[in-house]
Amino acid sequence: MLVACLFLFTFLFSACYAAKPSVYIQKLKNNHYRLMVAGKPYIVKGVCYNPIPIGMDYDYDWWNDPAKPWITDGKMMKEMGINTIRLYQVGRDPQAVKQVINDFYKLYGIRVLLGDWLGFWEYPCPFYGDDKFQEKVVKQVVEMVNLYKEEPGVLGWILGNENNYSCLGHVNPWSNPEVDAETDPQKQKLMRAKIYYSFVNKISQEIHKIDPHHPVGLGNGELVGLDSAAKYCQDVDFVACIIYRGKTFGNLFKSLRMTFDKPLLLAEFGADCYDANLKKEDQNMQAFFLESQWMQIYENLANTKTGEGNCLGGTIFEWTDEWWKHAPDYPDGWKIHDTESSWSNGSYYFDIQALGNKNMNEEWFGLVAISEEMVNGLNKRTPRKAYYVIREFWKNPVTKKPAAKKSR
Amino acid sequence: MKKLLAVLLAFGLLAPAVAWAEEKAASPKEFVIYADKNAKDNHYIPSGWMGDYGDIKMNDQAATNPHSGTSCIEFVYSAKKSQTQGWAGVYWQNPANNWGNKKGGYDLTGMTKLTFWARGAKGGEVLQKVMVGGIKGTYPDTTAVEMGPVELTDTWKQYTVNLVGKDLTYINGGFCWTTTADLNPNGATFYIDDVKFEADPNLKPEGRKIQEMPFYIYADRSSVANHFIPSGWMGDYGDIKYDGASKEDAYLGDTCVKIIYSGKATQGARWAGIFWQNPANNWGTTDAGFDLSKATKFTFYARGDKGGERIEEFKVGGIMGEFSDSDSATIGPVILNKEWTQYTIDLKGKDMSYIIGGFAWATNVDNNPEGATFYLDELKFE
Repeated sequence: MLVACLFLFTFLFSACYAAKPSVYIQKLKNNHYRLMVAGKPYIVKGVCYNPIPIGMDYDYDWWNDPAKPWITDGKMMKEMGINTIRLYQVGRDPQAVKQVINDFYKLYGIRVLLGDWLGFWEYPCPFYGDDKFQEKVVKQVVEMVNLYKEEPGVLGWILGNENNYSCLGHVNPWSNPEVDAETDPQKQKLMRAKIYYSFVNKISQEIHKIDPHHPVGLGNGELVGLDSAAKYCQDVDFVACIIYRGKTFGNLFKSLRMTFDKPLLLAEFGADCYDANLKKEDQNMQAFFLESQWMQIYENLANTKTGEGNCLGGTIFEWTDEWWKHAPDYPDGWKIHDTESSWSNGSYYFDIQALGNKNMNEEWFGLVAISEEMVNGLNKRTPRKAYYVIREFWKNPVTKKPAAKKSR
Repeated sequence: MKKLLAVLLAFGLLAPAVAWAEEKAASPKEFVIYADKNAKDNHYIPSGWMGDYGDIKMNDQAATNPHSGTSCIEFVYSAKKSQTQGWAGVYWQNPANNWGNKKGGYDLTGMTKLTFWARGAKGGEVLQKVMVGGIKGTYPDTTAVEMGPVELTDTWKQYTVNLVGKDLTYINGGFCWTTTADLNPNGATFYIDDVKFEADPNLKPEGRKIQEMPFYIYADRSSVANHFIPSGWMGDYGDIKYDGASKEDAYLGDTCVKIIYSGKATQGARWAGIFWQNPANNWGTTDAGFDLSKATKFTFYARGDKGGERIEEFKVGGIMGEFSDSDSATIGPVILNKEWTQYTIDLKGKDMSYIIGGFAWATNVDNNPEGATFYLDELKFE
């Protein structure tokens, strides 16, 4: 009898346990959101990872790099306290991808958020209004999910990055005959948003059918278009926002509550470490912004008293510098750590007085600098001040101290 | 030994008293800018004439009905736009003409307010704002505080600029007034007297006031209800002509805003726009702006000269800097009609508690190859 009871209990317990997804988002009684991993609350303390060596560009297949950069990087990440990396797009070789995911997880306990560009960079533009284009992208994403959903290191899926800007026509503009027939440009914008977010919703539904164990995120530049997402994209589990607002995220958490009440992952944020005005590296500047940003993330996690409680954590942009980014079309430039700024953002105000107010240095966002000196077949990695500052913050996350002025 | 003790004791008692007396001496209760012509306590020189300086006449020993003593300062502002600026003002500096290129500011720590008396010759004259500090340069002032607009009466009235909590360790621009031709189309004669900093220990810091609605950005050229300055010219700023007093078929009142965008890409940006800011040219570098929390929408009227002009974006808030706007909201692209049409930017659910950039428009040459002429009126938060 006792044996029978124990057997039944064990069976029921196992059944319950098996029914629970391994990674899911809880909505608490206070309407806060909390990411749960293996039955425990999980704060995403992450970084965007794209270890392109000096002299190579985005097309480089680092997944098959014999020097295995992720082994060196994973060790440094673990020492810093990183528990998650975000990968924008998986590599072409599934075995290599699995190796990377497993090495990160088994060696260092680091989980991965796997993404897909959703055809955003396809030439001449992403035809989101075209059924065949949609089918092709859905197939590609479903293939990724099927290939990697059983890997224990997978934390979730992120669909797109800043693809929503294409609906405004700012980047990679696209259209279809129905949109073209509309003469009011405001209505055209809304029509494109409806098409795009409905499409992402469809992909999310497809993923949920084949993988109930991992949440699906909507990659989105700022909060732009989320009023449309609220109508057409309710099946995503969280919003993965790309935000560059300097010292604070401002009203981001509250505003998301108002427009599209979903959990928020800061999927791309950070600061560069090059003072475009004084024309020299300034690690203090980067560390100052990142610490201030992490304070706000922690203030808005679940069960905090004053925040919105809708933040799951963040993935900093980015782990290492990428030397190809300023002049992607000129291979000679990939060997040079370019100091020319490519865009302007007043929120990063220390160097906004730079010529033409261009203060953002795309090749200087790394928490870790790389140099031409080779160590074990890799560009030598040197952690910047932000690495240590955030490491200490995560050990003792004090959110209430006022963000001090940057000390030089 | 006892004597030594007594001396030590006496010294111990006296020392704090002496220190207190010194502290008292080092903490004066006021610091005068102008009391009377040639008063020995006067500080700073009204040397920083700005904008249409040719429109200003000053008599710093006007004897007609001073507020106190024997004289006051008379300013006559002609509004003739001698330097084609449309505005003018005077900074009191130390030494004269110091625009931050040399050391000369005073440490006014301990002062909590600046007070002055003013009256208009007729009443109804409007000072756009008065300021303490705000001079930049190599030796910048440690604060910039402004108050206004101020509509003067024909009798003396005292005005106060609250300085509690402000860093007054270096102030070269002791006092300043500015005004505009729009606010005083027929010019203005006004008088200022008894300008001084005061240490008032009971004064509380000025909290950020939640503004009542409607809150205008532009009602009419001379309206004291106007807020924010169309100072943030962006992109191809050389392509823009701005007329804040156009009389071409205003929607309401006498005037409207007329904007001519030439589309010549003068600076090579191929787009242009204007931000209305507080204070002028504040790109998030100055802690200022308004608390517009009560606003649920922003409305304005617009029309195109021909109809069909395309404005890419009309926007509220969104300035990002050390002091960023608390939120932003946009509409656009908007294709303008030839007739006045009202547009609304929905602000429900937005955090409008800190707004430096009250309003902006932006357009580009790609959608307006021939440029665009358009009109705006009745810009207001509701």
